[in-house]
Amino acid sequence: MSNPNTKLTKKDLQKVYIRNLFGLQWGWNYETMQGLGYCYVIMPILRRLYKNDPEKMKAALKTEIGYFNTSQPMSHLIVGTDAALQEELGIEEAKDAIIGVKTGLMGPFAGVGDTIFITIYRALVFSIAAYMAMSGQAVALLIPIVCGIAMLAIRYKFTFMGYEQGRKLASGLGGQLKRLTDAASVLGLTVVGALVPSVVKAPMNISIVIGDTNPINLQSMLDKIMPAALPLAIVLLSYWLLGKKKMTTVKLILILMVVGVGLGLLTTFFAPVA
Amino acid sequence: MNSIPILIVLLLTLYVGFAQLDQISVQLGFYSPLFAATVTGLLMGDVTMGLSIGASMQLMTLGVATYGGATVPDFLSGSIMGTAFAIMSGQGAEYGVALAVPIGLLLTQLDVFGRMANVVFQHRAERCAEKGDDKGVEFSNILGILPWTLTRMIPVFVGLFFGEAVVTAINEYIPAWLMSGLKYAGGLLPAMGIALLMRYLPMKKFFPYYIIGFVLMAFLPANFTILGVSLVGLALAAIYMSHSDSAGTAAAAAANNDLEVEIDE
Repeated sequence: MSNPNTKLTKKDLQKVYIRNLFGLQWGWNYETMQGLGYCYVIMPILRRLYKNDPEKMKAALKTEIGYFNTSQPMSHLIVGTDAALQEELGIEEAKDAIIGVKTGLMGPFAGVGDTIFITIYRALVFSIAAYMAMSGQAVALLIPIVCGIAMLAIRYKFTFMGYEQGRKLASGLGGQLKRLTDAASVLGLTVVGALVPSVVKAPMNISIVIGDTNPINLQSMLDKIMPAALPLAIVLLSYWLLGKKKMTTVKLILILMVVGVGLGLLTTFFAPVA
Repeated sequence: MNSIPILIVLLLTLYVGFAQLDQISVQLGFYSPLFAATVTGLLMGDVTMGLSIGASMQLMTLGVATYGGATVPDFLSGSIMGTAFAIMSGQGAEYGVALAVPIGLLLTQLDVFGRMANVVFQHRAERCAEKGDDKGVEFSNILGILPWTLTRMIPVFVGLFFGEAVVTAINEYIPAWLMSGLKYAGGLLPAMGIALLMRYLPMKKFFPYYIIGFVLMAFLPANFTILGVSLVGLALAAIYMSHSDSAGTAAAAAANNDLEVEIDE
């Protein structure tokens, strides 16, 4: 006797998508990270399949509540795959496969997802928005919103891609994904290079008097060698420091504060006489 | 100098809770310092100041993201308070940035505390799972919203409620020379955001593109905007794609995994 409730509907996956968008990290904790949130996300699937079978529900809950952590946008692919496996095999048979898929994919997906959807996404979207905001254009705030909405569409697609492709997805997309990440990195680094002269401010309006000659302005001297030389030097110094083993962002902020206060005092004490 | 109207304090307190939930879910951008500072500026009657502080804070924090659940300073709450204090005191945007940074650093530990508090709900959920209680598991996850939001809402409320006293204390106890030095330092801080991005991106492999971007903007500032450079970058990326296509996937596979993400937060 077939159970009419054991097929997933499009609506089930849509519910999962909405929960994934909002609830994956509500219960984030140091023990299972996104584990609790993941169980919350997949709940509509479990309810559809095991509603009338308390033993299976119990087994499914215990399987899905375990350690999980990946990049949010990529998590949709994994949840979709998981849903397909639960539907096809049922929890008893699928249990090992599900744990395998979740733990096997979350690592590599986190790497790709963090690079594309956090690092490069921010380097482009938020740097352009902040650059425009610097010149007082409030319309800059629309850029992250519009891009964010586009991301929601991508995440919707990921849910169904995961469901349809199942486990094949990871190996099939692997090579493509690497090339795409590389190309995105090219774009990202070009923009990051352009950010240096446009957003790092280190003016050196200091006059140097040598003998009886007219005072020389240090900044115009530096500009003749290379524009934005000092900002570039400070960025490269920060980059180098971040490569040091014990360096943290908090320490770097403090170092930059000290350097900045020092340079700031220099420019006030040796300000050119008008 | 007047204290902040209680209505605005409450609105900003609600905003920081809402923005924190945005950060851990859809990430439309309300969590970003750019939005937080601008919204604060809007509510306190100085949007321009908000935009300016938001832009500086945003650029500084470009590379500061919670990869894999790492804790980072709370620059969301910091931006709100820094902007509010700057507008109250009538000092410039640099003053706001100089305050937002240390406030964000001070609040770092509250993020750790919130994530730790959620362990309680994880255990509650595990007990429910043991009984097959799906509703209980669900509710445990929803309870996790409380630590996330309260760890932001309480400090913002307290900070803004006593804002007048805080600003007076700052002006009295921090010497003018240090304040002007801190303002200058505010201009340097975006260097960290940029340097972090360089660490997360494959800089060693693709540094020529970084140089191209720098040169376009440094030597031709009159002819280029950041959007223009992005288009050049897009063209370079497309060229890279088509070349790596003809070279085959072997080269791409060989160059695998040169991302070095080795930064403790």
